[in-house]
Formats: sequence, structure tokens, C-alpha cells
Amino acid sequence: MNRAAARPLVEFEGVERVFEADPPVHALRAVTLRIDEGEHVAVTGPSGSGKSTLLGLLGLLDRPTAGAYRFGGVETTALAERDRAALRAGSLGFVFQAFHLLPYRTVEENVMLAEVYRPRGTAAPPRRTRKARAAQALDRVGLGHRAGFRPDRLSGGERQRVAIARALLGEPALLLCDEPTGNLDGDNTAVVLDVLDELHADGLTLLVITHDEAVAARAARRIRIADGRVVGARTAQGATEGAVEGAVTGADEGREPAS
Amino acid sequence: MKRPASRRGTRMGRADLVDESLSAVLARPWRAALTALGTVLGIATLVVTIGIAATAGDRIVSRFDRLTATAVTVVAADQGLPAGPGEDPLIGWDAADRLGRLNGVAAAVALAEIPPGTAPPVRANAVQDPSSVSARTLGVVAAGTGLPAAVHGRIVAGRFYDAGNVARRDRVAVLGEEAARLLGISRPEDAPAVFVGGEPFTVVGILGDLRREQALAAAVIVPPTAGADRLGIGPVRRVVVDTELGAAALVARQAPLALNPGHTAEMRVIAPPDLQRARGAVEADVDGMFLVLGLLCLVVGAVGIANVTLVGVMQRIGEIGLRRALGASRRHIAGQFLVESAVLGLLGGVVGAAVGVVTVVGVCVARDWTPVLDLALVLAAPAAGVAVGLLAGAYPAWRAARMEPLEALRAA
Repeated sequence: MNRAAARPLVEFEGVERVFEADPPVHALRAVTLRIDEGEHVAVTGPSGSGKSTLLGLLGLLDRPTAGAYRFGGVETTALAERDRAALRAGSLGFVFQAFHLLPYRTVEENVMLAEVYRPRGTAAPPRRTRKARAAQALDRVGLGHRAGFRPDRLSGGERQRVAIARALLGEPALLLCDEPTGNLDGDNTAVVLDVLDELHADGLTLLVITHDEAVAARAARRIRIADGRVVGARTAQGATEGAVEGAVTGADEGREPAS
Repeated sequence: MKRPASRRGTRMGRADLVDESLSAVLARPWRAALTALGTVLGIATLVVTIGIAATAGDRIVSRFDRLTATAVTVVAADQGLPAGPGEDPLIGWDAADRLGRLNGVAAAVALAEIPPGTAPPVRANAVQDPSSVSARTLGVVAAGTGLPAAVHGRIVAGRFYDAGNVARRDRVAVLGEEAARLLGISRPEDAPAVFVGGEPFTVVGILGDLRREQALAAAVIVPPTAGADRLGIGPVRRVVVDTELGAAALVARQAPLALNPGHTAEMRVIAPPDLQRARGAVEADVDGMFLVLGLLCLVVGAVGIANVTLVGVMQRIGEIGLRRALGASRRHIAGQFLVESAVLGLLGGVVGAAVGVVTVVGVCVARDWTPVLDLALVLAAPAAGVAVGLLAGAYPAWRAARMEPLEALRAA
């Protein structure tokens, strides 16, 4: 991949997350990292290393204690909660280890849930064609034939693919996967990873958090986290490192540096 | 590649809000039904209470027909005898004239009778015929000329004696319908005579179809003058007044004063109870207790909904986290749980109103009453249910909205 031409999607600069406790817990310390559009990144590390904290921050589900987070060029740390919700709805997709499918809704309805909350100011896709789009998304993960099923009748791998289809319906710029295969056996893991690979091949930016080497091996780039610090993250390269530091200061004042 | 969306919050369509809430409620139909049960009982109790009160009130009022509502009777104490020698009787025979001047009096008549037990035998002729029982013990009553009007009677034959008969102290009599039948008299135009304790009276008419003072149907009615002369019928015992509709209470207050201003305390007035007050009293009686019961049920229902919704919030923490991840704002989360509890309240209100109406109608069918149901009440019941639901859902909705998305996703 030609990194020089790639546009940055995620830019972390000196991001810290400290949880109020006695003593305070430093879950992340001065993390600086950049993910470009179209990348497939794996985040690995032992339990308690800060992987999940990182995902919460990346997914705008949590706010950093310090530092700057630009998403698609937009400084997010100072955004109002509802604006962050709009970014989640319009630009982020989530896949969780626990699937988080609603047990009382059909597969199709679970997928359609992604279109219930739409960012204001964008042309909302018409409600009556939502079903057709859900069917399309299910076809994309190979589950078109399961549309009317309840989640409890599906295998783990199928459930995770439903969750992926749901994430796809919002047409995200970034798909965040938190241990997507953590609850799956070997065969199901392979199927889900194949689906993710296909999506990446179609141009979707992927970030997968995992402690499974086999899963991490599929990614083009790997970021290791240990004790709240990023080890071996490829940030803006070499010479630009200092410039990024400077941008953090600027970001605090201007909030939206030209991208 | 898609760029981040503009930053102006997220929106949730109204149809989606209703859809999501209904799906969540209908996903657990039994739980929903049990949750709504308290509200059903509360609303049903209220509808039954108010419905039965209205029905009973209507029923009691319908018992007061026009006739009862316009009857006032003044009874003289101590048999109406003069207070001392040389004084006038408590009520004079001019009572009808005195009361006729009062506003609201349609007709009035003063009555005196021979006390029961001392009544002389009445026979239709002077011949003593041992083979037939011709002597009858009938009531003997002296009455003014206003009697037929005051008791809503009808002269079925002949005429009633008039002021001239009274003034001339004529020995005439009018027979009650039953008395005439017992005595075998049907044609007053033949001027038959009756003998009251041996005193002859000419029958001039027969009075029938009495609506008040029905005892008079079996009595011999004579003018006060002749009654006093021949039979010693004493002072006026009571005055029967026929009032205009709605004037009974007023007439009841004024009548003793008009009859004898100095001795009002010695008169007893029998007047119909006030219609409005009677109805109000009944409704208040029935309402008071059951309204409290119904409201209590509603509170229990609200607590039930609040409880179950709160449990639901705790069970659906993961769902809340997911919805937040999908872009739901705190307001969307609160809105959904509020609508869910409002739906439960509405369910309780509708079912409760139906149960209440069926119960009221059932009671009325069993008692053979006419059900009185206020349509507004039946329509207000579901609205009350929604209000209960919203009230009950407020706290759980607030709890749900307050959750941090990341913690919610992890907790599940």
C-alpha cells in the first residue's frame, strides 16, 4: 500500500486515559498512532493491557483524559455527546465479542437496527427500502437465507456475521472489531475472518482487537499494547514524529487543523 | 470512501421509536400482560366506581317521580287541639286559602278525621237487615274543597261538594272509590244517602284514581262544616299541599308560618328530600371509598410498571450499550423506555376500561338497572393509563439514559 498517498482516518496524539480510583489507573499512556483509510490493523496485547480502553476511545464510546483524537480530520475530544453519537451512527461500525444481537428480534430486524439512528443533516435512506438493504448486507456475509431466523437458532459464527452485516448497514468508514472470534471455535473463526478479509479487500478500513495470533496474522499491520503503552505502532513516519507533537498543541486551540 | 458525517446529532424517526418500543413490549407478551395487570385493576376499579355511582345516583333520582317531589304535608302536633280554652285551633279550615297565597303552591287541602277505633259504622240505608252485612267501618274524613286537586284524584261520578255546600252546612258526602264499591253505590245522580253513625248524608260524587292519601279511597269524605255539626270531627290534623315542581323545599319552609305564625314549632312538615342533594350524597358515598381504592390500585400498578421496567433496563444493559454504539443519544434511550412503559400503561388503561364497562353493565343486568356510563370517562381511562405509564417509566428511563455506553457494552 502506498502510505504516502493514503489519507489518515484515525489520528491519536498523546492520548491518555486515566480511570478515577485510588490509586488512579493509567489504562493508556501517551498513545500516538495513525490509521489510514483502507488499512487492516490488528491490536494485540495481554489481558488488561488497555486494548478495550483503546477500542472505547477509538469508537467514541469514551473520552480520553488527555490528548487529541482526530477522526477523518475532525477533532473529537471536544465534541458534544450528540455529535459524537452522530459520528458513531454515520462513520463507525462495531463488532463485539458478545455479538450483542437482540434475542427477541429476527436476524433481519437486528441488521435493520443500524438504520434506526441516523445522523441529522444527511439524507436518511428511505425506511421502506431498509429491508432490501438489510438483505443485501446479509448476502454480503453469506447469510441471506437466515433473514427470518432468531439469533438463538444460529451458530456462533453465523451470529457474528449477522453483527458484521449490521455494522455494514451504516456504511461505516471504520469497522472496529473487539475480539470478534473470542467466542467462536476454529471453523467459525475462519469463516468470520474470511468475511472480514473480503470486506477489507472491498476497501473497508478494519481495526481488529484480539489476543489470538491467528487473527492478528491476517492484518497487514500489527499494533502491540503492553501496560497501556503502544509498542511497535507505526505512527507518522520518522521525520514527521516531531511535527505530530506540534500538531497536538495546535489542535487544542484550533480544534480542526486542515487535513 | 465515505467521509465522517456532519456533526449535528442523530435523529430517530417517530415510526422507528414506536416500532422499537412495541417490539420490545411484544417480545415478552406475558410479562407485558402481568406488568399491565396493576393498571388494569386500578383503571377498572375507577371506571366501575364512577359508573356504578352514576348508575345508582340515576336510579335513586328516578324513584323521585314528579308526584313525590311535589308533595308537602304539614301535620299538627297534639291532634291539632287548641292550646287552651278560648283559643283557636292550631290550623284553621282556612288553611287552603292561606297556603294558596304562597308562591309555588298549586293546591292545598286541610284534613281532619275521626280517630280510628272510634269511627262510626257506615251503611247505605237505614234498614236493619240481619241477612246481609250492610254496615261498614270506613274512615270518615272532613276535607276542604281543594281535595281532588291536592291528591291528584279524579271525580269518577257526580261532583265534589263546593264552597256553597260548605257554607250552607249541607249534609253532603263524597265517597272514595273503594268505599262506594263496598257500600254498593255507583250512581250519585240518584242522590243516594249514606248513614254515618246514623246521620244521613247525601252522596254527591265518587272520588277515584287517588295518587296521594290513598287511604281516602276507602273513606267517606264530608265538608268540614257538616262534619263538625253532625259527627264532631275536630280541628284540622294535617294539610296536604301540591307544589309546583322544584318548589317543595321552599313551600315546606314557609307553610307553617303561613298557617299559624305563632306556633310553627307545633307543626311537623314532611317534605321530599332535595333531589340534587340526594343524588350528590349517594355519589359521594359510593365514590369516596372506591375512588381511594381505585387510586391505590393505580399507584400499585404504577409501581409494578416501574419495577418491571427497571428490571428490564438492567436486563437490557447490553442492548442499551449497543444502541448507543449505533448512534442513539441518551434522549433516544430514555424516549424508548418511556414509550415502552407508556404502551404498558395504555394497555392497562384500555383493558381496564373494557373490564370496568363490562362489570358495570353486568351489575346493571343482574340488578335490572339502567347502566349510566359517561363516554368521556371511558375515553379518559386509556389516557390515564398512559399517564401512569409515563410516570412509572420516568425513573427507569432516566437510569437507562444515564448509562455509559462502554460500561453498558462490557457489563452484558
